[in-house]
Amino acid sequence: MVKNRQSKLTYLLIVILALLTLSPVVMLVIGSFSKGLNTFGDFTLAKYISVYTDPSFYAVLGNTLIFVLFSALFSTILALFLAYLNNRTNIPGKFMFKVISVVPMMIPHVLFAVSWALLLNPSNGILNLLLMNIFRLENAPFNIYSIRGMIMVEGLLDLPIAYLIIAPAMASFDISLEESSRVFGAGNMKTLFRITLPVLRPAILAAFILCVVRCLASFAVPSVLGMPGRTYVLATYIYRTVTTGFIADYGKAAAVGMSILILSISLIYVYRYMTRSSEKYVTVSSRGFKPVVIELKKARIPLFVILLIFSFILIMLPILVLLYTSFVPYSMVPSVKAFTSMNLDHWKNVLNDPVSLSSLKNSLFLCIVGASLGTLLSIFISYVIVKVKNKASGILESLSFLSFSFPGIVIGIGFMWFFVRTPLYATIWALLIGYIATYLPYGIRPMTSAFIQIHSHLEESSTVCGASFLTTIRRIVIPLLIPGIVSGWILMATMFFRELSLSVVLSRPGTETMAVQILKFSNDGLWGRLSALGIIMIGISVLLVITANLVGNHFKPETN
Amino acid sequence: MKKTIRVIGIVTSFLIMGSMLFAAGAQEKAPQKESKVMEEKVALYASITAIEPILAAFQKDTGILAENTRLSTSNFATTVLTEFQAGKLAADVVQAPLPVMEILKQYGVIKDYFSPAAQSYAEWTRNNGGIYQFGIEYVALIYNTELVKAADVPKRYEDLTLPKWKNKIVMANPGNHATTISWLVGLKENNVFGSDAKWMEFLTGLAANNPMFVASFGPTPAPIESGEKLIGISMPKYIITKAPAPLAWAQVEQPLLGSPRAIGITASAPHPNAAEAFMEYWLSDKAMSLLANDVGEYVLTPGVFPPIDGIDKAKVIPIRDLSDEELLKWGAEFEKIFKL
Amino acid sequence: MEIHIRGLKKYYYSEGRTIKALDDVNLTIPANKIFTLLGPSGCGKTTLLRSIVGLETPDEGEIKIGDTVVWSSEKNIYVPTEKRGLGMVFQTYAIWPHMNVFNNVAYPLQNQGMPKAEIEERVRETLRFVQLEGFEKRPATKLSGGQQQRVALARALVAQPKVILFDEPLSNLDAKLREETRKELRSFLTELEITAVYVTHDRIEALALSDTIGVMRSGKIVEIGAPKKIYFNAEHQFVADFIGRSNLIPAKVKQQKDSFTVVQTSLGEFVCKERDYPLDSDLTLCIRPEFIDLAEEGALDQKNTLSGVMETMVFVGDVYESEIRVGDVLFMAKVDPETTLEVGDPVTFSVKPEHCLLVSE
Repeated sequence: MVKNRQSKLTYLLIVILALLTLSPVVMLVIGSFSKGLNTFGDFTLAKYISVYTDPSFYAVLGNTLIFVLFSALFSTILALFLAYLNNRTNIPGKFMFKVISVVPMMIPHVLFAVSWALLLNPSNGILNLLLMNIFRLENAPFNIYSIRGMIMVEGLLDLPIAYLIIAPAMASFDISLEESSRVFGAGNMKTLFRITLPVLRPAILAAFILCVVRCLASFAVPSVLGMPGRTYVLATYIYRTVTTGFIADYGKAAAVGMSILILSISLIYVYRYMTRSSEKYVTVSSRGFKPVVIELKKARIPLFVILLIFSFILIMLPILVLLYTSFVPYSMVPSVKAFTSMNLDHWKNVLNDPVSLSSLKNSLFLCIVGASLGTLLSIFISYVIVKVKNKASGILESLSFLSFSFPGIVIGIGFMWFFVRTPLYATIWALLIGYIATYLPYGIRPMTSAFIQIHSHLEESSTVCGASFLTTIRRIVIPLLIPGIVSGWILMATMFFRELSLSVVLSRPGTETMAVQILKFSNDGLWGRLSALGIIMIGISVLLVITANLVGNHFKPETN
Repeated sequence: MKKTIRVIGIVTSFLIMGSMLFAAGAQEKAPQKESKVMEEKVALYASITAIEPILAAFQKDTGILAENTRLSTSNFATTVLTEFQAGKLAADVVQAPLPVMEILKQYGVIKDYFSPAAQSYAEWTRNNGGIYQFGIEYVALIYNTELVKAADVPKRYEDLTLPKWKNKIVMANPGNHATTISWLVGLKENNVFGSDAKWMEFLTGLAANNPMFVASFGPTPAPIESGEKLIGISMPKYIITKAPAPLAWAQVEQPLLGSPRAIGITASAPHPNAAEAFMEYWLSDKAMSLLANDVGEYVLTPGVFPPIDGIDKAKVIPIRDLSDEELLKWGAEFEKIFKL
Repeated sequence: MEIHIRGLKKYYYSEGRTIKALDDVNLTIPANKIFTLLGPSGCGKTTLLRSIVGLETPDEGEIKIGDTVVWSSEKNIYVPTEKRGLGMVFQTYAIWPHMNVFNNVAYPLQNQGMPKAEIEERVRETLRFVQLEGFEKRPATKLSGGQQQRVALARALVAQPKVILFDEPLSNLDAKLREETRKELRSFLTELEITAVYVTHDRIEALALSDTIGVMRSGKIVEIGAPKKIYFNAEHQFVADFIGRSNLIPAKVKQQKDSFTVVQTSLGEFVCKERDYPLDSDLTLCIRPEFIDLAEEGALDQKNTLSGVMETMVFVGDVYESEIRVGDVLFMAKVDPETTLEVGDPVTFSVKPEHCLLVSE
């Protein structure tokens, strides 16, 4: 009967989750098989035939694979490197890691891509001009409008996802596994490759797969950096499908989206297959311990410098470009003229715009309430995934990825087709539910890693002490989960704060969000106002993250 | 465990109930149809941007609150039709490019309406049974005044094919950007170059200069302002909205082309009286002057021009609407020519 | 409180095979005594313990604690763990790392909704009882293994349950601490009116701690008895062998005579402690190494005398652990550390009939 109540919870969660994630997808599937512009037309295969017989589709598919795999690889390797340096070595300036790991999530992706175009475009990219002057080059050394440029920028953008999954696993790693390796004659490097990385495989794979899924759906980078260089990936191909012509055929877009969906789902299954036994051997004791720190010796300072440069590129550069853009009257290359003509017009404009201000309020509401509800749901789902571990929990995990793995422009329409049949349509609750459904994996992943670390005896002893299930969750599980909850909440909140693809379809007067406002500025080419609002967004996100960390620390005073 | 389920249940039902109340509240506010009383607000779905000054002036003059939902052209028809068919279209007035409006008309979204204010417009703007054209999304060659010498400014569209512009041009993607496709086809159909062969020469010459493609018109001015590119196929309204950026339009001898912008009242308008009031206001000289002066739009009200040097003398022609089949066909054609 | 277990079954299925963790277990655990479940790993003892506390659900059977049926497949009764009012000490101690000692111990009382002042009083009392006075504010992560063990015990005792369960609670301690804690634990438990169920695979722990031992094997209770009975008078070869080292020789019952049982082995006849088996039963003769009496050659007139050669001798302090070869058989024997015998010497020894134990399969 323990089983019984666990499976009741599992089925309840499956129902909730299926409602959340399956509904838009079902709408899209129907739409892709229907004649006409909406769902529920006559059945037709025409949309699939026209998409999948187009020879250019397969070239796009090739590009997509390269873009996605290398971006995800880049993010994962970088994240591993950073997580290792932070958790396992005596590198100075560790506070920077926390910053590196969250800030890129707060920068709207469009802005991030645009600032890189400003830095590295082949005509007058600031860095390119600098390098050409220094080395007396004829041509610009870098072209950001290329698949390599796209990979780099997307890789940097997805780094936080990978880092936030790998770092906690690295931190809670049982040091005796490494020590025994060293005892048996393996050096630091050998231990790293033979013991540390293989044991961390579940986390590394999780990070990689999540990055792949995210890249598949990514639109900002391929559109800002891929289109000028005429490199198309599936997301921009879909965009082309829906924008050619005045009447967008979202059913056809959904037909293209299906291949992304199938790709994503199979990846998730591959991931589950590869980690099915390995999650068992993640051994973490219930007693707190500090992993042994590796002395970097001579490499300490050079690595620190690399880290410094890296944070500069990753965080300071785009923010500086944003700041600069928000002060100059129009897009200009930095020059004496540019600096003398700086003013606060864009800032005044944004701060006096009532829609921008109300969008700020809405976004804050969505991000705080949404992330909190999303985190709550993630706690229950992760509990089932980790602790119940039956077939149904596998279904649950796959479901949670469903809407996440669809490209934003398409899933937004799916949600619209769904919500228009509910009383929630055109309310802020539609946005809230849509956000939670789409970004649930961001909440679930950190939470499952945290759950894996809690020895089942800790809960069982609470039950034996007469605590009900809910008391156990409240007094034992949640406090122990705090690090996971905080990072899950931060991930969701920052995502929600700059969420665009759903908001642009579902927001209405009174429920505008900041990202929609940003998109409006971007449609009008108003980069200055865009940057000003972007900086406000980043500022608020930073405050949110700091608050979340403080609240998190408040709940675990006894260990510190 | 039962408690857990109960808690989840409570949370969920709380959510659903909250949103239902929210929705119900919204419905209650909707006044009854056929009432002669002027409603307190009007809902607009528009694809045109930066119209807040007109909405503010409307409220000031009439006391009716105008709420605008901005929908991009690519979302417009899908959103409006989805809502309309579900009986949830909140819009009283819709504003979109003419081809979109005509599709909506086919589905019965647009109400037949006689507008007194439109009678001062040219006759061709109002022969669409409830759809009124009021402006043209005009396209021109926009250049950087600091980096392009006066002598170098193109005098004809063909000048863009000169080798001096190689790698210096920015434009929206001719493979899929509807307005750009329509514009290129419009150049042919209005015989701007004298012959189809000359038109084809223009296209191949433009393609040979390897222009940079962006997703839409929005991102075209930034590279010109910053000097990344020198010239672009863009919209003169940016000269107003992006001032003091060093932008100007090349005053070519040939006419300017653009797709017509239109507006209409919906058949299911929740606020029908306010909708009519808004239509009349929108088409008035006052509103159109605001649009021209503040946003730099080209409007069809006789005698009203945006404050852009030389526009009042330019010949601006509305281009024929292309059907979606034609857009796809030409898009594919341009993809070949521009080797996308 | 007595615990009654009837017909308890629990099967696991893994890779196509069925593992019987509990195979029709029937057992009565006596009230207010220390009862130990002893057995090798995988014998089902932990499953049985977890079934009593409710952390695991058996497939069939009934569990009754006192007069309350807490689980019954037939009557479809399941009292959730938290409602069973038991205390338990886990193998890992399961001290919550985010709480201090006070909160860890106060937890069960807080769940009962006891007034704060009373909780403080009771926690202090219990901590004094386990000799952890003044540790209230100490974070759980700053405790040594032994201290964690006491906190776990205090937590299990604080609500004054009628039954307390132990899941190998000493296996994480070092040898010396384990011995001390064992003694302490026994005196704590005998001082209280409490039924204790203790799971271990360590036979010394079981012998030293228990009032009654239940030996388990492959999901079944093989034998139940007081430590001495289990040690000296086991009925099954498995139990005899598991509870202490023994020399095992196949034997056949020849006759019952003068309240002794005579058996035939490959080393000749043995006169053994009486066991009621029919003639010609195949049994095993079990002789513990400490019951092998060495004597000068020829000085022994008794029954059960054998001669052999000393093959190995290992000095372990209080004795020599040695092996004596008699024909094909190597006898383990404990030899006086002051002996003059050396490896290779001929040896004669005897075993008293009351130390010759006949056990069945």
